Amino acid sequence: MVVVWKDLLVERRSKETLNALFFFALLLLFIFQFALGPDRERLAGTLPGLLWLGFILSGLLGLGRTFMVERENDCWEGLLLAPGDKSAIYVGKLAGNLLLMFVIEAILLVLFGFFFNLDLGGALPALAVVIALGTVAFAAVGTLFAAMTAQVRARELLFPVLLLPVVAPVLLATVKATEAVLLGESLGSVAHWLKLLAAADVVYVAVGVLTFDFVLEA
Amino acid sequence: MKDRVRRLFGVTTLVGLAAGLVMGFVVAPREATQGNVQRIMYLHVPSVWVAYLAFGVVLAASIVYLVRRLAAADRLAHASAEVGVIFTGLTIATGSIWGKPTWGTWWTWDARLTSVSILFVMYLGYLLLRGMIDDRERGARFAAVLGIVAAFNIPLVHFSVYWWRTLHQPPSLMKPGPGTMPGIIVTALLVNFAAFTLLYCYFVTRRARLLRLEAEAEA
Amino acid sequence: MMPDNWGFVIAAYGLAAVVLAAYWRFLSRREKELDDASVVRQHQRQGAGFSEPHARRPS
Repeated sequence: MVVVWKDLLVERRSKETLNALFFFALLLLFIFQFALGPDRERLAGTLPGLLWLGFILSGLLGLGRTFMVERENDCWEGLLLAPGDKSAIYVGKLAGNLLLMFVIEAILLVLFGFFFNLDLGGALPALAVVIALGTVAFAAVGTLFAAMTAQVRARELLFPVLLLPVVAPVLLATVKATEAVLLGESLGSVAHWLKLLAAADVVYVAVGVLTFDFVLEA
Repeated sequence: MKDRVRRLFGVTTLVGLAAGLVMGFVVAPREATQGNVQRIMYLHVPSVWVAYLAFGVVLAASIVYLVRRLAAADRLAHASAEVGVIFTGLTIATGSIWGKPTWGTWWTWDARLTSVSILFVMYLGYLLLRGMIDDRERGARFAAVLGIVAAFNIPLVHFSVYWWRTLHQPPSLMKPGPGTMPGIIVTALLVNFAAFTLLYCYFVTRRARLLRLEAEAEA
Repeated sequence: MMPDNWGFVIAAYGLAAVVLAAYWRFLSRREKELDDASVVRQHQRQGAGFSEPHARRPS
C-alpha cells in the first residue's frame, strides 16, 4: 500500500517538479554569477554557502509541493480517512522527497562544477555524506510542515516561514562541513558537525513519524 | 474572590520587579571594565532565561494537549508562547542596546544574539500558524506539533551557533560566564530572574484566562 | 575604562517598561471587554426583563 502510494506520487508529481526545478537551479546559478561578479576569489570563499542556498531554495519549492496532488485533486478526505497508521504515509512521502532532493542536488553539483569550473572529484565521497545527512533533516521537517501548511491559508508563505528557522542549525552545520570538505579536509575534522546532523536526522524523523498521525486527523 | 487573588498576584509581581531594580541599580556595584552599561545585563539575561522557561512550558503543554486533548493545555501553550516571544524580543532589543556602547555596533552575530534570534523567528512562526488556522481544534493540534518540533530544535540551535562562533575565534571577553562573576552580580541576576518569572506567570495566567473567555464568546 | 552610558541603560529599561506595560494594558482591556460581554450574555440567558443600554449594544 505504501509502495503504491510512493510510486504513484513519485511518478506524477516529480516529473513536472523535476523539470521546473532544473530550470530553477539553472536560473539560480545565473543569479549567483551576476550577484557575485567574475571575482574568483570571492566565489571560492562563498561556494559552500551558495551550494546550500541552491539546495535549500530548490528544496523549498520542491517540498512545498509534497501534498499538492492531494490538494488539487480533492483527495484530502481520502488521506484523512485512510485507516491504519498515518505514519506510513509520512515515511512514503519522505522517501519520495528524499529522492527528489538527491536528484536536484546532484544536478546542482554538476551545474556548479560546470559553470564555476570546479574539480569536485576528490571531495565527492565526503561531500556526499555531508549532503545526505543534511538533506534527511531538511526533508524530514519539510515533509511534516508541508502536511501542516497544505490545509492552511497563505500556505506558500507559511511553509518557508516555518521551515527556515527550524533548519537554520542544520544549514549552519552543513555549510561548515562542506567548507571543510571542499578544502580537502577529512570527515573526521568535522566530526562534531556530522554528529549534530545525525542527531538532527534522528530527532526530526522520529518527531515526524510520531506526530504525523496528529496532523492528518480527520 | 478571584479578583482579589489576581490583584494580590499583580502586586507581588510589582514588588518583585521593584526588588529586581533595587538589586540591579543600588546593590550591585558598578562593573569594572564596562561601567554602568553592564546593568543592562540584569534585564537582558533574566529575559532570555524566562524565554527558555516559557518555551519549555510550551513543549510540555503541547505534549499534554496531543495526548489528553485538554483545552486548558492548548491555552497554556498559546499563552506561554506569546509571552515567551515578548521576552525573546526584549532579549534581542536589550542585547542590541547593550552592544552599541560596548562593541560599537548595534548588531553582531555572536552566539547568544544569533541563537535567540532564531528562537524568536521560530516561535513567531508558531503564533503565525495559530493565527492562520480558523478551525480551533486543528489549530491547537498543529500548534502542538510545531511547539514540539521547535523545542527539540533549541539544543540544535544552541550547539550549532556556539560552535559556529567559537571554534575559530576566541570567546568574547564581554560575555559573562557564570563561573567568573562575583557573587553579588549573580545574586542580582537571580533576583531579577525570580521577578521576571513572577511576571511571566502573571502574564500567562491572565492571557490563558483571556483565551478561555474568547473561546466562550465564540461558542 | 569606559564612560558611563546611562542613556543606553535608560533606553533599555525604558523599552522593557513600555513593552511590558503595553502588554499588560492589552490584557486588561481585552479582559474587561470580554467580561462585560459575558455578563451581557448571562443576563440574556436568564431572560432578565429589564433593558439595559448595554444589552442593546452589539458586542
